[in-house]
Amino acid sequence: MKTRDQEYREMFMAEALEYYDSMSRHLSELERNPSAGPALNELFRLMHNLKANARAMGFTDLGEMAHHLETLFGLIRDQQRTFSGALTRVVFAGVDAMGAMIRAIGANQPLPDAQALIENLDRLVRGEEPVFEEDEVAETDEEAGKKMELSDLVYIQVKKLDNLLNLVGELVIDRDRIMTLAQELDNPALLATAQHLFRISDDLQYSVMDARLVGVGVLLNKFPRVVRDVASAEDKEVELILSGQDVQIDRNILQIITDALLHLVRNAVSHGLETKAQRQQAGKPLVGHLTLSAMTERDDVLIQVRDDGRGIDTEAVRRKAVERGLTTANIAATLDEQAVWAFLFEPGFSMASKITDISGRGVGLDVVKLALDSLGGQLRVESELGAGTTFTLVLPTSIAVKGALLIEVEERPYAVPLMHTDTVLALQPEQISVVGGVLLTHFQGQPVPLVPLQLLLNDEGDEPLPLATRNDVQGAQQVLVVNYNNRRLGLVVDRFIRQQNIVIKPLSKPLDTIDLFGGVTLLGSGQVCLVLDVPALTRLFITKRP
Amino acid sequence: MADIELAASSSKAERAKPVEMVQLIVFRLGDEDYGIRIEQVKEVTVTPEVARMPKTPPFIKGIANLRGDIIAILDLEERFRLRPAGRELPERSYTVAVEAADYTLGLVVREVPRPLTLPLSQIEPAPEFVQDTGARDKYLEGIAKLPDGNIIIVLDMRKLLTPSEVMRLPGKTASK
Repeated sequence: MKTRDQEYREMFMAEALEYYDSMSRHLSELERNPSAGPALNELFRLMHNLKANARAMGFTDLGEMAHHLETLFGLIRDQQRTFSGALTRVVFAGVDAMGAMIRAIGANQPLPDAQALIENLDRLVRGEEPVFEEDEVAETDEEAGKKMELSDLVYIQVKKLDNLLNLVGELVIDRDRIMTLAQELDNPALLATAQHLFRISDDLQYSVMDARLVGVGVLLNKFPRVVRDVASAEDKEVELILSGQDVQIDRNILQIITDALLHLVRNAVSHGLETKAQRQQAGKPLVGHLTLSAMTERDDVLIQVRDDGRGIDTEAVRRKAVERGLTTANIAATLDEQAVWAFLFEPGFSMASKITDISGRGVGLDVVKLALDSLGGQLRVESELGAGTTFTLVLPTSIAVKGALLIEVEERPYAVPLMHTDTVLALQPEQISVVGGVLLTHFQGQPVPLVPLQLLLNDEGDEPLPLATRNDVQGAQQVLVVNYNNRRLGLVVDRFIRQQNIVIKPLSKPLDTIDLFGGVTLLGSGQVCLVLDVPALTRLFITKRP
Repeated sequence: MADIELAASSSKAERAKPVEMVQLIVFRLGDEDYGIRIEQVKEVTVTPEVARMPKTPPFIKGIANLRGDIIAILDLEERFRLRPAGRELPERSYTVAVEAADYTLGLVVREVPRPLTLPLSQIEPAPEFVQDTGARDKYLEGIAKLPDGNIIIVLDMRKLLTPSEVMRLPGKTASK
């Protein structure tokens, strides 16, 4: 495995070499036509980027050189200097020197000294004539004989990677099928080949998934600016702390949660953190703290948005939920704080009493929930009144492959993503009670409603589900406890088949309107297996419970 | 795989007089012949294993894996109520994969569909007065009369395959 440092270095090298090639090209263009505006702008931009990259990587000499050239190109662009005479010679020498530096970095060698060149560039900037030393001519000759190099990195469209991933998904499905067939036929040669295929496609799948991973930092690093803007609009002082930028995640997952994270961060600055006066009154430091951190937990990636602000006023949310008609006052009074906080993610729910540019328009937190649902992710909320709030996004590392539990109902297999499963239980009838027509059991001291999955799947029309009675519970019940938005639901199934990694294919139109199914997967036997969408099942149960 | 060579009769069409020709894929539903323009047909294959999908109307047989694409399989005999009593679909049926703008659907048929080329002028627009006689009239492009006196009902897949149409549940709203 390569270290992160090495990887950054390689990326820097690839980019720097590309910049260098473009610079050489644009310089030749500029030499032919000294007033070529686009080439000049491009050179200015390339110098600027190279300067920034080099400084970020700690290659100060290279950064200095790029900085001086950038300044000079700025002057040429503003028509205070012309690209002619001695200036041309110095600029070419400067770009060549940068090339030599970049190559030296790539070869892990000390950077060549370029003090004389820098001084010449300074002279040009000041409007003086450059001074050439005798041996410089020889050096230029040496440069002419330099090698041509192609970059070690290629840029690739995400679309192409998506396609590759889909193909690998198909391959894995066929592989499983061949494996099953080989076992059935019990032919040793076929079995050995199938096992080899198994290993190779495993490696291939891993490699493709690995190629799609990016550091969470590419997203997190955009937030200092966002926080600054929101904070200054709200007249707050916020210190943003970033951590875990190196945590790796699939690029498309990062793309999908971009808006969600943006909402959470804006929300934290705008609602979560108090004004300076309020903080002073509460005896807190004037500067609010916002932490954006990423970490890995088993196969998942956690992204946390933590503020040290006022925390969620659970009672206010409770009142608001009743006001908005999301629940009745009686039920609201019995809900624990997690259940109350879940209302924050209902569409259109806003706690802001006044509308600002940043928040309070009743859009936002439900976007977070939707983005996470579409990924099969989870959202955790922790909050203490007066001390702050933490939102944790639990995300899969990769979209394509998910762990799932295969279950059987009415002789058909269904897959439930492990992300949403809590536990499986085999319950005896005496462990199940009937309360108000709903089957109920207790798990970890919590009441968990039970529903036969078959009832939910076959439910049609708008009537509530039939009332459950004791007669529905005959013999041991196989129960899969799923968890969505901190609500637990026990699904009674016919049997558990096995746990398996599955590749989820989205349902194509027109069937994609049935939200109970998150997609389909093909089993090793070639059988089509529907993937259940736990959020939709939970919602269906809540609206249809008797 | 019993894929059918769909382009077989195309060379004949090119040599024909400057009369606009239409190629249809013709199949039987109940006791009637139906046709679909060949441009709307992706392939014809033996029906793969179909998984019944809960929450869908009965005329959606389920979903099947067609070369890695998961597509919905429709039973038009059921949709148009053309199924003769006591004649369930045979064990081995065929699926015509038809292409809508951005997705594919399978139509299950009992016999191997056959290609047919005929002049466009032989397709007459459907008469207006059949508007309310059944669901299928909405999807008609027209009716082709063959020289031998047979009639082929030409369906317009683009009208048939709008998602709202496919998911139309009798007597209630589509999906929840």
